[in-house]
Amino acid sequence: MIQIQDFSFTYKNEKTPALREVSLTVPDGGFLGIIGPAGAGKTTLARAVSGMIPHHYRGDFYGSVSVNGLDTVDTSIEELSRLVGMVFQDVESQIISPLVEDELLYGLENFGVPREEIPARLEEALAKVGISELRDRSIASLSGGQRQKVAIASIIALKPRILVLDEPTGELDPRSSRQIFALLKQLNEEQGITVLLIEQKIMLLCEFAKHLAVLSGGRIVRQGETRDVLSHADELQALGVNCPRVTTLSRVLSGKTGTEQPVCVNLDEAETMVLNLIGRRAQP
Amino acid sequence: MIELEHVSFAYADQGPSVQDVSFRLEKGEFAAVLGANGAGKTTTVRLMDGLLKPTSGRVLINGADTAQTQVSERARRVGFLFQNPDRQICKNTVREEILFGLRTVRAEEGEDALRARAEAVLAEFAFTGDEEPFSLSRGQRQRVALASILAVEPEILILDEPTTGLDYLECCQIMDRIRRMNQEKQVTVVMVCHDMEVVLDYARRALVMAGGRLLADGPVPEIFRNPDLMEQASILPPQMIGLGTRLGKGFENATSPEAVADTVLSLQGKGGHAE
Repeated sequence: MIQIQDFSFTYKNEKTPALREVSLTVPDGGFLGIIGPAGAGKTTLARAVSGMIPHHYRGDFYGSVSVNGLDTVDTSIEELSRLVGMVFQDVESQIISPLVEDELLYGLENFGVPREEIPARLEEALAKVGISELRDRSIASLSGGQRQKVAIASIIALKPRILVLDEPTGELDPRSSRQIFALLKQLNEEQGITVLLIEQKIMLLCEFAKHLAVLSGGRIVRQGETRDVLSHADELQALGVNCPRVTTLSRVLSGKTGTEQPVCVNLDEAETMVLNLIGRRAQP
Repeated sequence: MIELEHVSFAYADQGPSVQDVSFRLEKGEFAAVLGANGAGKTTTVRLMDGLLKPTSGRVLINGADTAQTQVSERARRVGFLFQNPDRQICKNTVREEILFGLRTVRAEEGEDALRARAEAVLAEFAFTGDEEPFSLSRGQRQRVALASILAVEPEILILDEPTTGLDYLECCQIMDRIRRMNQEKQVTVVMVCHDMEVVLDYARRALVMAGGRLLADGPVPEIFRNPDLMEQASILPPQMIGLGTRLGKGFENATSPEAVADTVLSLQGKGGHAE
């Protein structure tokens, strides 16, 4: 569980707070998507949950952040890192080994995973992310998207209870992005891993995240079930947050037909909505 | 005009990244190169810029073979926006960054003319010029990179995932600016892009790649409406086109929520069937 209460943070040497009075709870097994324009404080939030704030980034810290009951200020970064796996936005700053296999081994060995378990954990993580064939490759020979997958695999191999991901699919193509989201969903549903996912890919986020929080100017301006948040599309767009086109379709159809249409979050729902309106059955 | 004639390319110690690719882009086109990670998209656009030279085949920019022209000659005609702006920003202020490109490729115009060009671009992008590029956000750095390329007024603009790491508003700003260059000055635009909604909104022609080969080449909506091709190239079509494909009759040409809604209205009361 992630609990953030009245949390404000101002980086050292900065004048304005990066986050202001943020309160947020992600229950055990929750899947929360975070969205918001550039500079809204999304990465700061990820750093706070992972403990990098206050342990690596100094500044003025108000309120409290706790993960599984441990206050991040009082808990060492070593202990926090066993609990919270963090995938960075900037892959280059995360990867430290010259070879794919070494990158995964580094984490597993440092976490004291028993020797006999390591080969299976390594293979499993590579397979889950779909990069088994990259095991012996040098990091330098990989594309941006492939590096991103290596970073994700190396965190998943550690089996953290909480996963924090900061735009983990920025360099991935749509199909690979969907695979990663599906993997997160699987880890969330089958193993009860708590997921906090920062993403600009609004369509995917809305399909996979049960709850959304919208950050703007360091504050949470909306949070709730994904569908409820999307029902405020005009407000989101004014903040510079796009909505999925299926949600826009709901809104346009409500306006043009004069009857309130359901807020759609995926293609299946949009198809049903349109078929109902035109009185046609789904085609086989 | 850019022409690729049976172009193949292999990086050292690796199999071919691009195999026997041929196409021709006319002045003023706006094309998107689509495909999965590793399909050969970035290699193809680097070949188009002459950053890479083909292992076999020829790349012609306005009729001149990239294997026989100088980088400086091409830099004036072709602007290249990298996926990561930090790969191209090298100066300490935004003004110096913009002047750097100008001095490199338009030196003969004289310092005063170049400074005037730089100030015009700074004003247009709402920079004072004194900002330090690396203290700006990712989206702002991307705008710095774009500003310094546009200052040179290239005839051809190559963009490698120009919207990665940008939020929605930043993405629209940058893409709208690029569209203006394309429409007002007939600048040829080629972009690699993973956001199919952006491709649908801005590009007119799609070049689809898979396994280093050119799989298809055609108008954007038409390409997206080919489910077999989408499957083969690992592309998920934009939502409204995906919806149109599912709904079939009457919805074939609807590409936006507005168009889908209008089709719904025209079909209502007709039992859902087009006349």
